Amino acid sequence: MTDLAQEAYAAALAGLDRMTWSRLDVLLSHASPRDAFAMVCGDESPRGLAAHLFDVDGLAAAWRQSAAQRSPDRVWEQCCESGISVVVRGGEGYPVVLANDPAPAPVLFIRGNLDQLAGRRVGVVGTRNATGSGRETATTLGRDLAQVGVHIVSGLARGIDGCAHRGVLAVADGAGPIAVVASGLDVVYPREHRGLWEAVAERGALISESPPGTQPEAYRFPLRNRILAALSEVLVVVESRDRGGSLITANEARERGIIVMAVPGALRNRAAEGTNALVRDGCPIVLDSRDVLIALGLDTSRVGAVEYDYRPRPKGADRDLLTLCTEPRTLDQFTILTGRTLVECAMSLARLEANGWVQQVNGWFERAGSDAVCG
Amino acid sequence: MFAAVSSATLLGVEGHRVTVEVHVSVGLPCFTIVGLPDEVCRESRDRVRAAVMSSGYPWPTKKVTVNLAPSNQRKVGGGLDLAIAIGLLIADEFIPPGATEKFGFIAELGLDGSLRPVAGVAPLVAALDDVHPVVAVGSRHEAEVISSESVFVGHTLRDVVEALKGEAPWPTPAQDTMAEPLAPLPDLADVRGQPLARQALEVAAAGGHHVLFVGPPGSGKTMLAQRMPGLLPPLSPSTSLTATMVHSAAGVKLPPGGLITRAPYRAPHHTSSIVALVGGGTSSLRPGEISLAHGGILFLDELGEFSPSVLDGLRQPLEEGVIRVARARASATLPAQFLLVAATNPCPCGGGAPGSCACDDGARARYLRRLSGPLLDRFDLRVPVHRPEVDELLAGAPGEPSAVVAARIALARQSAIQRFGSLNAGIPAPLLDSLAPLSPAAQKLLRTELERDRLTGRGYHRVRRVARTIADLDPLAGEIVGEEHVVMALQFRVRLSPLLGGRAT
Repeated sequence: MTDLAQEAYAAALAGLDRMTWSRLDVLLSHASPRDAFAMVCGDESPRGLAAHLFDVDGLAAAWRQSAAQRSPDRVWEQCCESGISVVVRGGEGYPVVLANDPAPAPVLFIRGNLDQLAGRRVGVVGTRNATGSGRETATTLGRDLAQVGVHIVSGLARGIDGCAHRGVLAVADGAGPIAVVASGLDVVYPREHRGLWEAVAERGALISESPPGTQPEAYRFPLRNRILAALSEVLVVVESRDRGGSLITANEARERGIIVMAVPGALRNRAAEGTNALVRDGCPIVLDSRDVLIALGLDTSRVGAVEYDYRPRPKGADRDLLTLCTEPRTLDQFTILTGRTLVECAMSLARLEANGWVQQVNGWFERAGSDAVCG
Repeated sequence: MFAAVSSATLLGVEGHRVTVEVHVSVGLPCFTIVGLPDEVCRESRDRVRAAVMSSGYPWPTKKVTVNLAPSNQRKVGGGLDLAIAIGLLIADEFIPPGATEKFGFIAELGLDGSLRPVAGVAPLVAALDDVHPVVAVGSRHEAEVISSESVFVGHTLRDVVEALKGEAPWPTPAQDTMAEPLAPLPDLADVRGQPLARQALEVAAAGGHHVLFVGPPGSGKTMLAQRMPGLLPPLSPSTSLTATMVHSAAGVKLPPGGLITRAPYRAPHHTSSIVALVGGGTSSLRPGEISLAHGGILFLDELGEFSPSVLDGLRQPLEEGVIRVARARASATLPAQFLLVAATNPCPCGGGAPGSCACDDGARARYLRRLSGPLLDRFDLRVPVHRPEVDELLAGAPGEPSAVVAARIALARQSAIQRFGSLNAGIPAPLLDSLAPLSPAAQKLLRTELERDRLTGRGYHRVRRVARTIADLDPLAGEIVGEEHVVMALQFRVRLSPLLGGRAT
């Protein structure tokens, strides 16, 4: 067993029951992973500060029991099979940006290439229950920033997170995406993001502090958010509810002195309550990727060129309806607001939808195209 | 001594004639009923005995055997009581033989000799088409709307016996002082705002399209569904008769006139069992809610909460308009031609504007999974309903009253029936091109929808049928279905799947 790499022991330690990042940090700061694992197994007597950990009620027993079930060679085999590499804080390959974090991850599991972290990095996060316009903003931001070589850090959740990375992947040779996830790297969550998950691992980097096989338990997400925040130079919240997980990420970012920016939304849009609160608290506003680039201190001249909008300009009644579409509206509302008949409104909306000005979801019409300003 | 008297028993919604044979002979005094009586029917022994004695007639101290012919068919209910009592009195030579040849008896007896109405008098009387039915006073209207012969009634067993013996005339119960008018139906004018949902009701009623309302709680889905009966025309004579038979067989209260003329409205709760919904039961094969809704509306609120097997049970009757209920002993075909109106929330929390749903993803996916697939396919109209704004509720002008809308619907139904012989929902796909030709613009629109994968092949045909109905309702439209009709029809096809997260824009 002595020929196993130190990382294998670190990986096994990270997966123990009742293991937290702070406990793991204490263990590894006083001993090599191999020695720490021996301490846990009871083969060696605990040393230094770590000794206090073993006094915690039942912790030593719980660790010893789960250590018996998770032998380092098995965990290491799992990592190798899934192409997951392990880096230990203080060891080789550990990201510099995380090394001095106030709440560091002592062990990280990686798929893909960590060199991405050397580039400029912007976190893009938001709610899973995003509106159509939120999704579109996230996609556009991801695409535009990747195009000028900025790496997008996100969490691969449904909604905003997924859209941001989809935007990144839409650019053929842009900056690679960086994803921080809460589950083990071989446990895809949400399941419909399997394709995205693999693409991110291939084109960029997939990071987790949980060993393979870890399920996406709810408490792991806020912990994941601190790493996500720590990896970002600027954090953009696209859409968030008044008590969303993205606000936890924003707080983590603020504690680390990272700039938090927010995309404002309509007042009655529930998905924008959190971001609007951020704006009220003084967060800089993001309207497009240029705002982010300015915050990063990068040259914005290359993204200045707005693509020509090929959509035919709406005329007459259609234009009136489009102007009313400042927030998601139903056909009933259009009828009542304009005083036109149901058929007239439906016809107008059908034309607008055909030309790409609005999109319809479940009876709600939303404006499509993030820069849809029509004069 | 022997006697044979006519009566009837119920199977499904059909009456079957039963000859009650009574044999009284010398022997040890006893009273037996043979011929597959069910529990209720067997108990008539004790009711008949008490009724006969309370009416002041002698009970024979002899061996009495009652046979219910044909003997291989199960007899249900207490409707045979009166026939058994009369048969017994003939066999005991208290009533002259031959006095009952022209009569059939359908009533239950009370221990005091009174006559009580039974469920299913309408189909039972229909089985006795060549004799005068004798029923309890409470069943008179029901019997009269069906019977071709004049109906006789009695308050008590004594009334009937005396009339048969010629000692007294048949009682003539006082005519009801003016049949009370039917209670008014909920009116569409009560619905404020909701123009799209109102239009959907109109289209559904005019074309016979099944409709699903999708919207948050409090958006008025149930209120809308309740307005549906007021929009449908009165039932045709044959449908009215069938509906009356079904209601009578199920023992559901009939309107004062005895005949159901208005489209029925049935709204079973989502905990209803499959037997309650499609019909069945051990021996009598009682019609279920879908048969009671024949000619009218079946409203299923909280569609997703119904058990999946119950909903699957609806699929065959939705296609065929009848339900065949088969049991080991018997089978019956029950009418089940109804308009299905259903309502559901888009997700457990009720949803709302995009981004306002509070459900976790798993719960939402589970909820929508119950609605998916073949069942959703049966709905021509899937209508999004939204909570009306406060202003609409308070200040909105009342909408058109039901009467005005119903008149338009009647015209549209008429033109559909003239064109094809049935409502538009029944147009077979191959005939759509000739019966619902599309204008070039409409064709182009549907083509884009198909190309964008927003419409399936089956959905395409449904949209065309609905568009046909919308054109029928449009006084300016001709035989060609225009773009505006197709646009409206597409508004009635809300897609539920995009509610699930993770959709790429």
